[in-house]
Amino acid sequence: MAIFGSSSGSSGNVDEIKSTIMKQLQQEAAVNNARQLIGKVNEHCFDKCIPAPGSTLSSSEEGCLSTCMEKYISLWNVASKSYIARVGKESKKYGSQETIAMNSLATGGD
Amino acid sequence: MDPTAQLDLSKLSDADKKELNQFLTNEAQKSNIQQTVHHLADVCWKKCITGKVSSGRLDRTEEACAQNCVERWMDTNLSVLKHLESLRGQ
Repeated sequence: MAIFGSSSGSSGNVDEIKSTIMKQLQQEAAVNNARQLIGKVNEHCFDKCIPAPGSTLSSSEEGCLSTCMEKYISLWNVASKSYIARVGKESKKYGSQETIAMNSLATGGD
Repeated sequence: MDPTAQLDLSKLSDADKKELNQFLTNEAQKSNIQQTVHHLADVCWKKCITGKVSSGRLDRTEEACAQNCVERWMDTNLSVLKHLESLRGQ
């Protein structure tokens, strides 16, 4: 691969180094984010759907878990939207430069 | 093992480093925001989803509750800061 090649400082090489770092960083952030979401879903939906753990997971419990997960994600999205909107409003009030990052997150989708 | 270990960072110019630095700052900020949203979802789930979960979607009251939950949490945050500021001035 070109990263290992030693052509002295061709711009393509440097760009590749940069994009590798960026990609890896973003990937790690995404994994971290997903892990956190899964942890919370597990915690809350176990609470809701398995009040009395039996010897096996019943099909109704399993159904509840799927529904619960969808609901949690819906709530997460509502919270995200409301929070970003509010922070945008506040930073407009106080003139913070954080707005740029807010916007990129709001339009970046997930 | 770690692919970054193979990267020769000395090839990067100051401008490249600056660009990466900016990228990192942005990513850190996004990650911060996501962290807060995780916390908010956690808190507001406890407050707003009190009954059994029968649908994967939020009903109208739950959605309104979630929005209010975020707004009041922000109010709380700002109010605490304000009060703290006033204590400092004493």
